[in-house]
Amino acid sequence: MPEPLVAVGAPAVAARRRLRFAFLLNLTLLGLLGLMWAGLSLGTDSFATFGNFTNLLRQGSIWAIMAVGQTFVIITAGIDLSAGAVVGVAGTVVALLMKSGVPVPLAILATLGFGVAVGWVHAFGIVRMGLPPFIMTLASLTALRGIGLLMTNGQTIAGLPAEFSALARDSSFGIPNLFLAVIAVAVPCHLLLHHSRWGRHLYAVGSNREAARLSGIRVTRVLYLAYILSATLSALAGILTTARIGIGVATTGDGWELQAIASSVIGGASLFGAVGSVPGPLLGAMLLTTINNGANLLNINPFWQRIVTGGLIVAIVYLDQLRRPKR
Amino acid sequence: MADGYPLFELVGIEKRFTGTYALKGIDLAFEPGEVHAIAGENGAGKSTLIKLLTGAHQPSAGGLRWEGRPVAFRGPGDALALGINAVHQEVVACPHLSVAANLYLGDERARHGFLRKRAMLHEGQRLLDRLGFAIRAEATLGDLTIGQQQLVATARAAHRGVRFLIFDEPTGYLTRQETEQLFRLIRALNADGATIVYISHRLEEIFELADRVTVLRDGRLVSTRRTAETSERELIRDMVARPIEELHYKRAVPVGEKLLETRSLSGPGFADISLTVRRGEIVGLYGLIGAGRSEFVTTLFGRHRSTGGEILWQDAPVAIRREVDAITLGMALVPESRRDQGLCLNLGVGFNLALPSYDRLGRFGLVDRGAERVLARRQIDRLNIVAPGPGIHAEALSGGNQQKIVVGKWLERGARLFIFDEPTVGVDVGTKSEIYRVFADLLDAGAGIILISSYLPEVYDLSDRLVVFRGGRTVAEHGWKTAEVETILTEAIGA
Repeated sequence: MPEPLVAVGAPAVAARRRLRFAFLLNLTLLGLLGLMWAGLSLGTDSFATFGNFTNLLRQGSIWAIMAVGQTFVIITAGIDLSAGAVVGVAGTVVALLMKSGVPVPLAILATLGFGVAVGWVHAFGIVRMGLPPFIMTLASLTALRGIGLLMTNGQTIAGLPAEFSALARDSSFGIPNLFLAVIAVAVPCHLLLHHSRWGRHLYAVGSNREAARLSGIRVTRVLYLAYILSATLSALAGILTTARIGIGVATTGDGWELQAIASSVIGGASLFGAVGSVPGPLLGAMLLTTINNGANLLNINPFWQRIVTGGLIVAIVYLDQLRRPKR
Repeated sequence: MADGYPLFELVGIEKRFTGTYALKGIDLAFEPGEVHAIAGENGAGKSTLIKLLTGAHQPSAGGLRWEGRPVAFRGPGDALALGINAVHQEVVACPHLSVAANLYLGDERARHGFLRKRAMLHEGQRLLDRLGFAIRAEATLGDLTIGQQQLVATARAAHRGVRFLIFDEPTGYLTRQETEQLFRLIRALNADGATIVYISHRLEEIFELADRVTVLRDGRLVSTRRTAETSERELIRDMVARPIEELHYKRAVPVGEKLLETRSLSGPGFADISLTVRRGEIVGLYGLIGAGRSEFVTTLFGRHRSTGGEILWQDAPVAIRREVDAITLGMALVPESRRDQGLCLNLGVGFNLALPSYDRLGRFGLVDRGAERVLARRQIDRLNIVAPGPGIHAEALSGGNQQKIVVGKWLERGARLFIFDEPTVGVDVGTKSEIYRVFADLLDAGAGIILISSYLPEVYDLSDRLVVFRGGRTVAEHGWKTAEVETILTEAIGA
């Protein structure tokens, strides 16, 4: 057998550059986060307080969970615009169930089941009816918002069981429960993505659907799983948000789908598919939360943070384009 | 008109793509007012030639002369400005716009910045009527048949005052009636002084239309003859006569039991196909592009549903509903387009090699990454894939090495029937012989091969049995080298 050629030149350089980019991006995000935290600690009296920091972690956690779900869909070269609406409806559903006397664990399980159903409908529309993911989930976003408002008649649902609110407000082992929830989501998701057969198939579908199909991969099954996972994690985020604020409001999570998509993209996922990881969106979500939080503390007009988020997305995606080989 | 000079001339033209020649040493002159046909097998260099003539490609060496003066095109715009236009087989237009809008695309009538839609509609309709096309100018282009769209594209070229018009296999999708309309138009344009280049593999059309015909083969110009002084037989001989250095790797292997049999299989794009493949043999499928060979094999592989007939695997009838069914039986498909169907380009070489086999790598749905690496290394060594490592993205590799990955993933899966659809398109000579060696190894190991190729010398030399396709049906079957090359080409063309 001839010696396998340990090639020199262009391919090797390209590979090294690509690896270095992913690593550098995460490092840059981490550095940026540290820089912002340091700046805010020095610049404001209130940032580096225990209360604010746990608050920051709690909000960041909810977005992080949504962003991880979003990343699965983005890896298939799709998008889930309904994520924010699912948060609102799931919060309403869980609140209504508990108000009608359903025990807390059962209410949570049923709401997660609702998330599964929403994801199934998305995948059905995309795979079986051939709708573009953008359209299917945009339609779902509008419809779900309507459903949430219909169910509550626009009213706030208050008086939820104390044990439910404790889920989001308490800490275990000195760590906020919400942050533990992120770990409970991120670790299995990371294993699923990088150590399971399904994870491999997910990347293949995102890279080249036809090649994946001709390699014997059940493409429809992979897509169903991705959309179900995204909607279920958004439903989880909805449950946790309701627990955190203690009331069920149908309009919760307005625009959060954009936060989730932005977190995912800032964390290195490519909207062209087949690129993305779990740590990326976690860092992205923390970064966006910090911008949000810092702007409040610095008394900056809150509308600015939307502009900053927009600029950040353009910058990151532009960098993504630069590293892409030109055809 | 130029005095004594050819209208358009290619002098010593060469075109290389990453080291391989697509065209070499082409000297060709188009005389003003002639209809000049260009013929050749698939891959002979016809499309590259058109791209050079229309400014889409620039020659690597040699030059172009227009009316005796050297010209260099920076892009298609420069060629258009001289009155050079092309009508392609695949219609390049806006299907959502009206016929009139397409006729005036990029050249709209306007007054004070506002479109004069009614004027364009009237003028467009007058043009279509004058040409004798039964097409309404206000119809949406996409609602027309492909043939009618082709006629619109021709009309569009005609009304721009073209002097040099290239037709690239224009009759592929046309009905008989539409073909006659097109021919009338070509003759009318020619009578108005336009020089016509007509590319086709339908020899009878060439004899009907052209004054002269040039044959290309393997990127070289073989002959230019007057149609009045030649015959179909002579042209076919020019098209297939082969360079001496072509040597294909053929090893005789005892033919074993039956692997696959189809009985009157029909599906999208093909009908009534009956053939068998046994262990240790190569069954070649030859035909022109669009003859239904790819459709046949992708249906075999479960990509499309068959509409009739039977598939037998080792003498037992089987139902293949999706790709997994075919793979489970032991089939492997190396598809026509590596980029679009074969590879996940922006993922690693190792990933691509392991893709069909992940259900065997590890347990409980988890991937054993060690086994994954071993697998990748094994195939990289076995096929001598030139890659710095299994993590490198497939897109960074050369065409030949990419092709080896597509083969390698099925070797790993242990397939017994390999379907190769145009496996040597766009690979260099060295890789070609390596792919042939892989064929021989597969046959030795008891596999059977279906080989689709539009390159006749290849299927001719390699196939134990050669099945000729035309228009979605099989028209002939030959044993190894039992028929003349000319006969096979004639069967495929239907001349």
